[in-house]
Amino acid sequence: MISIPAKGTLERDALIAEHRRCVDSMKGVAGFSVLYCATPGDTTDVSGGIHEFPVLRRVLLRMRGESPAGKLVVVCTKIEEQWRIARLSGVRGVPPTFVNDVVYDNEQEIQHDIFLMRLDELPADAGMPEHFHDGWKRKDDNWPIT
Amino acid sequence: MSTMRLAGYADKFSVHPGETIKFFVNCDGPENFDADIVQMIHGDTNPRGPGFIEKEVPGAFKGTVTGARQMIHGGSYGFVNDAKALNPESFTLQCWVWPTAPKTHPRYWKHGPQGLVTKWSGDQGYGLFINERGCAELRINGEKLTTELPLRDHAWHFLAATFDAATGAAVLYHEPQVMYALDPVIAPVTRTLSGPLINAPVPLAFAAYVEALDDGALARSSMPAGVVFAGKYNGKLDSPRLCNRALTRLEIETMKQGAQPGLTERRNSGPTSDLAKCLVGAWEFSEGINTLMLKDCGPYRLDGRLVNCPTRALTGYNWDGTVFDWTKAPTQYGAIHFHDDDVDDARWEVSFEWQVPVDAKSRFYAAKLTTSDNDEDYIPFWVVPELGKQQSKIAVMVPTISYMAYANEHVASNAGGAELFVYRVPIMQHQNMFLAEHREYGGSIYDTHTDGSGICLSSRLRPILSIRPKYDHFLAQAPWQYPADLHLVYWLETMGYDYDVFTDEDVSYEGLARLEPYNVVITGSHPEHNTGTQLEALHNYTERGGRLMYMGADGWYWVHSYHPGYEDLGRGVVTEMRRCESGIRTWRADPGEYYHQGTGELGGMWRFRGRYLHSVAGTGMSSEGFDISSWYSRTPDSNDPRVSWAFEGIDYDEKLGNFGLVGGGAAGLELDIVDTMLGSPPHTLTVATSAGRHTEAYLLVMEDFGFNQQGTDGTSHPRVRSDIAFHETPNGGACFAFSSIAFCGSLPWNNGDNNVSRLVKNVLDRFSMDGPLPAPSPDAVQYRGRADYDAPEDRHRRR
Repeated sequence: MISIPAKGTLERDALIAEHRRCVDSMKGVAGFSVLYCATPGDTTDVSGGIHEFPVLRRVLLRMRGESPAGKLVVVCTKIEEQWRIARLSGVRGVPPTFVNDVVYDNEQEIQHDIFLMRLDELPADAGMPEHFHDGWKRKDDNWPIT
Repeated sequence: MSTMRLAGYADKFSVHPGETIKFFVNCDGPENFDADIVQMIHGDTNPRGPGFIEKEVPGAFKGTVTGARQMIHGGSYGFVNDAKALNPESFTLQCWVWPTAPKTHPRYWKHGPQGLVTKWSGDQGYGLFINERGCAELRINGEKLTTELPLRDHAWHFLAATFDAATGAAVLYHEPQVMYALDPVIAPVTRTLSGPLINAPVPLAFAAYVEALDDGALARSSMPAGVVFAGKYNGKLDSPRLCNRALTRLEIETMKQGAQPGLTERRNSGPTSDLAKCLVGAWEFSEGINTLMLKDCGPYRLDGRLVNCPTRALTGYNWDGTVFDWTKAPTQYGAIHFHDDDVDDARWEVSFEWQVPVDAKSRFYAAKLTTSDNDEDYIPFWVVPELGKQQSKIAVMVPTISYMAYANEHVASNAGGAELFVYRVPIMQHQNMFLAEHREYGGSIYDTHTDGSGICLSSRLRPILSIRPKYDHFLAQAPWQYPADLHLVYWLETMGYDYDVFTDEDVSYEGLARLEPYNVVITGSHPEHNTGTQLEALHNYTERGGRLMYMGADGWYWVHSYHPGYEDLGRGVVTEMRRCESGIRTWRADPGEYYHQGTGELGGMWRFRGRYLHSVAGTGMSSEGFDISSWYSRTPDSNDPRVSWAFEGIDYDEKLGNFGLVGGGAAGLELDIVDTMLGSPPHTLTVATSAGRHTEAYLLVMEDFGFNQQGTDGTSHPRVRSDIAFHETPNGGACFAFSSIAFCGSLPWNNGDNNVSRLVKNVLDRFSMDGPLPAPSPDAVQYRGRADYDAPEDRHRRR
């Protein structure tokens, strides 16, 4: 597995900068990807991001494949106006809970903050043998596969 | 966060002019709510589009309605009405169980004991349970006899309990079907209880126990009304038996055989003469699998009724792996899988009703509900002309089976892989937050139950919070299904077309008669889930000169059937689907469980029933991705005189659909292509394609390859694309396939003034003309092979 670049490294800073650039360009699109729109808010011509930055691509895959328990998610709290960050419970029948009071006025901007939070939360060597636990013995909905 | 205090459903999806439609509403808080019948025009709130649009319906229902709290009595169970024979002094209870969640997380929404076979309530009566630690438990009055070791999940166990009133002796047996090398021996548990057994005046329950008899909101929506069942069991239950004395272990073994009438010339119930004297009930769940009945083969005919439609036609404890179709060996399919989140009917009381005027226009309607506290809900429905009373030459076929398949979906909050296929952090709406807590509203056929097993049944008689305007789905970060189909409705209204609407349900039940009055039938954006009779009707329609505009993608994919047990409540109440060995599956059916319980037909993809998706409208599913959309270029085929009329007013080099309210382009989400080897007619013209423009989030469908390999995403695989295609059908008919779920999201762009709109208008204007379409020139009539379309060798390589 690929390591998550450590805090303070140039590699990590570069990932953050590219993610930022993509998020800004995606504002206005009815959808989202970590890709750069040549014309902001227009997907006619996209490049960069996951297509051209292999480390960013793999780091995002690692983050996206985390178990639902404690996974960050976006909740739209007012249609087209407000969004907040929450965490999934991982328990059926227990709804997500908000992580803080920050209210976003843009559904793309919040993607970047979640990326930053995950960079801080995910150990560089997650998924390696030293992280083995009994949950590896079974498949369930919590594995990153449907 | 919204608590969704106001939500409801109607007794029908489609209602004819002159009929009455009833609405059932939970209004939990405010004393009253206002209800208005409105026409739905556009459900997308995206500020780059026309915004939310509804239209008043003059003279329709409008008024203030007294609110009431209504609850869903969720979770499946069976019950047998109380009878003298069910109130013994001594007894033996026995059954096979395959529990799926014997131990639950303390925060799990239904953490606590689960009833297996119980005639117990409020410390009276008797019953077999799984306690909150996952152990088998016998309850007699207020006393509990419990095994020490929890039941293994997803494994068969035989359980039995005896109680002798004369001695007070109680025995509880737990015998796993499979023992592993390091499993400890589980000895029977015995104890002398004080007795006597005080029987409870409640029904016998399977997979639950009676918690209360009252007239509260929960009890009113129960069946039988007034009886609140709790302790809903998750797992399979097979072959329960009840005798009115304490049997020996040998007698219990014999009793496993059930009533066994007719072993010889005798016809009495009971495998032996001794057991014939004490047998009370021997329920054989292998009988009436396609019904909601529980057949008792014992002497008293204590037949039971299932509630909330648990899953049947599943392998039993005795399934031997040689038969895979329950209709061929039903005795190996005596298991019923109960779930604590099954729901077949909310069973709410009527809040208000509306008699649709005889001159009502056939359109998308909704009951708009509001309160003074800013609560809001919409209950969509469709006014559908009676057969023979069509109002227009154009019809929209509303994909209601697909709406049901996606009803109240939980994937964003439950599936670990959800983020990997949407390729961003999912956005949940307040409906998703509510459903994450209220599992009693049931899930979608994309979800797994709370116990992790796949959901294969979906009812429309419950509030379906995903069939709503102003609802963006996490898959698209934009409208999906119902609200996405309103993009099409807005366009039809804006362009001034007159049109009728009908639903999948109408076509499934009425066949060609529903389709043939129309010159053209337009589909929704994602008609993925279909009954066989619906597909047959579409083929019959296009064969006889009908014109079909397939406005989306991933259509005609999954086998569905309506459960026959609900016909008394209306048409198409519960739909069933099994996710078998291929196709895009968020869960997979277990071996031997591919056949529908309702109809006995093989489930799975229509493709593997020999009905290729591409044969219905010319294109079929190739790939899917959910991050952003792309756009089309015309191909040389678009200049063919057979179809060039469709591109009048569109330059050859124009970027077609590089805009839109779904992913930012017309080619997105799920994509269809032409494939003459998979059912596209050999004369199909591919008039535009989005090849080479999709992101790596887009992946080839798994049914198209047999070996896992790299290079199957949108940045590298040539079949990850959408093809817009046209072909003629006999007798002046034709199909136009737009082949992308996002496609309709481009129609409203710039208020309908755009090249996608132009293309669709050209097609609709031609397809809606009276009489057969003009015949193509004689030189177009050629005999074509399916494999005639070999790529010219190395055409694109430079050497």
